[in-house]
Amino acid sequence: MIEVPPNPRYLWGKPIQQRILADVRDYVKNTSYMGRLVSIAIDGTAEVSVYIRNQAKVAADVGIEFEQQFWDRDITQGACKAIIKGLNDDPSVLGIIIQRPLPSHINVRLLQTAIHPLKDVEGMNPESIGNIVYSDIELAPCTAAAAIEMIKFLDLEIKGLEVVMIGHSEIVGRPAAMMLIAEGATVTVCHNMTRSVAMHSRRADVVLVAVGSAHLVGRDMIKPGAVVIDIGINQQESSDGKIKIVGDVDTEAVAKVAEWVTPVPGGVGPVTVAILMRNTVLAHQRQLQSIWREVG
Amino acid sequence: MSANIIDGKVFAANVRQKVASKVADLKETHGITPGLAVVLVGEDPASQVYVRSKGKQTIEVGMNSFEHKLDVDTPEEVLLALIDELNADPTVHGILVQLPLPSHVDESLVTNHIAPEKDVDGFNIANVGLLGTGQQSMVPCTPLGCLLMLRDYHGSLSGKNAVVIGRSNIVGKPMAQLLLNESCTVTIAHSRTKDLADVVRRADIVVAAVGRPEMVPGDWIKPGATVIDVGINRVDTGDAKTKLIGDVDYASCAAVAGAITPVPGGVGPMTIACLLANTVTACCRINNVSSESFLL
Repeated sequence: MIEVPPNPRYLWGKPIQQRILADVRDYVKNTSYMGRLVSIAIDGTAEVSVYIRNQAKVAADVGIEFEQQFWDRDITQGACKAIIKGLNDDPSVLGIIIQRPLPSHINVRLLQTAIHPLKDVEGMNPESIGNIVYSDIELAPCTAAAAIEMIKFLDLEIKGLEVVMIGHSEIVGRPAAMMLIAEGATVTVCHNMTRSVAMHSRRADVVLVAVGSAHLVGRDMIKPGAVVIDIGINQQESSDGKIKIVGDVDTEAVAKVAEWVTPVPGGVGPVTVAILMRNTVLAHQRQLQSIWREVG
Repeated sequence: MSANIIDGKVFAANVRQKVASKVADLKETHGITPGLAVVLVGEDPASQVYVRSKGKQTIEVGMNSFEHKLDVDTPEEVLLALIDELNADPTVHGILVQLPLPSHVDESLVTNHIAPEKDVDGFNIANVGLLGTGQQSMVPCTPLGCLLMLRDYHGSLSGKNAVVIGRSNIVGKPMAQLLLNESCTVTIAHSRTKDLADVVRRADIVVAAVGRPEMVPGDWIKPGATVIDVGINRVDTGDAKTKLIGDVDYASCAAVAGAITPVPGGVGPMTIACLLANTVTACCRINNVSSESFLL
C-alpha cells in the first residue's frame, strides 16, 4: 500500500523512522552478539499490548531479540526491583523496557531508578535525565528524542529559535525542553497553570505539544510559518461511535498556517519506536566501552 | 516608583536561625548532630576563604564541621577513597568538595562519587535528574536561595511568567527546574536568544545569572517585576580599586522593578545559608526525620 500524504504540510514520521532504522540494521548486521531487549508489562491493558506488539515487530525487523514479560498484577514493588536487579546482572540482557501504565501500587520512578543506566534504553533513569540536563543528550527518553529528531529532519538551525513546549511531564515535556536548551534554543515551558498559552505559542518558531488534550492547539495559537510537533495521543469517539486517535493539535486547521505539522497517528509515534532501537544500539556501544560486554 | 530591596543578609540570617533551631531539635529529640564535611584540594586563596567561612557558619548553627585539606597534587584515587570514607561515615550527612579541582582530577567523576543523599551541592548527576523530573532531590544552593527569597516575597509563584537568563549547570538550569516545580511558566534565555529585551519584558520574575556586568538595563524590566540578580562581577573602578556589581544595572532596574536583590548583599549571603539548610535536610532524610517545614 502506498501512503499518499493528504497535505503537503504534514510532516510524516515514516521516512524519519526508516532512516534511523537503516542505521540500526547496519549496526546489528555487523555485530555478532547483541543480547536481548526485555519488555516488562504488569497487568497489561489492550492499549499497552498494541505498543508492545509494535516494538516487537520493529525489533524483529532490525534483528534485535525482543522478549516480552508479563508480570502478575499482584506483584510487589520489592519483587519487581529484585527481578530488575537480576536482569541488570544478566549479561544476555541488553536493555530493559518498562511499559506504562503500571498498577497504582507500583512506583514507576523507583523501577526506572532500579534499571542500570547502561541498560536504560528508555532513557528514564535519573542519571540519564541528569545527563540531558547537563547537555549530554545522546541518550534521551524516546518520545522527547523523537520530537527533537523531527525538528532536526527539517534542517532548521535550532540555535536561537524561539520554542514553546506545552506540557511539563517528566517523560516528555521537561526532557524535550532541556534537550532544546542544550541545542541553543530559547525555550518557554507552558502547562496547565500558564495564564495564556496562546500568548506564548503565538510568538514561537516551533511549538511542541504533549498534554493529552484532544485538539487543544488551534490555528489561532500558531504563528504563520511555524513548525508544530504534536506529541499527544487521544482517543476520540466520533458521531458514528467509532474510536479514532487524534493528537493535541487540530492538525487540519493548523496546517493552514503552519509550515509543518506532524499528524497523529503517523507523526512522532513511528519515530519514537525507532529511537528506542537507536538507544538500544547506544546501550550496546556503552556496555562495550565500559568493558561490561565482551567484543564479539 | 522605587523597588523593594530584598536584603539577602537579613534573609540569610533568618535561614541560619531556622537551621539552628532544627539542629537543636535534632540533638534534643533524636540525639543526632548534623555534620558537614568540606574537602579542599590545593591552596586556591578564594577557595580557602570560602571553606573557612563555611566551617565557621557550620559550627555557629550547632553542627559538626569536618575539614579535609589535601595537597594540590593529591592523586584522584586518594580523593575518591576519602569520599568513600565520608559516604560510609554515619556522623557525616553532607559532603562538599570545593570546586574548582586541580586539572589532573576529573571533576564530574568526583561529584558523581558522592552519595546522592549526602550531595549537599546537588551536582551529582542522579540529583540533577531527580530535580529535572520534579522528584525529591538535593537542590543546588544558589538557586535554592533565590527560590526561598521569591517564595517569601510572593507567596505562591503559580502561573507567574519567569525568565531565567543564563543556562549554567549550577544556577540557570536548576533555577528553571525549581520555578517549573512551583508552576511558573518558565523561559530559559541565554546568549543565543534573539531578542533578549523582548523576552525579559514579558517576565513577572527575572533571574539573571550570566556573569556579564550590568547587562540587563531597566528598560528591559516590566514595571513591578521581581528581579533576582545572581551575578557577581568584580570590575575596576578606575582608581586602582575594584568593586562587585551584578548582572543587572541596579539603579535603572530598581526604578521600575517591584522588588530587587542588590549586589553585594542579595543572593550571595544565601548560598552558604542554603548549604547549611541542605545539610540539615540530608541529615533528616538519612535518619527518617521529617524536614518538610523547617525552612518555612
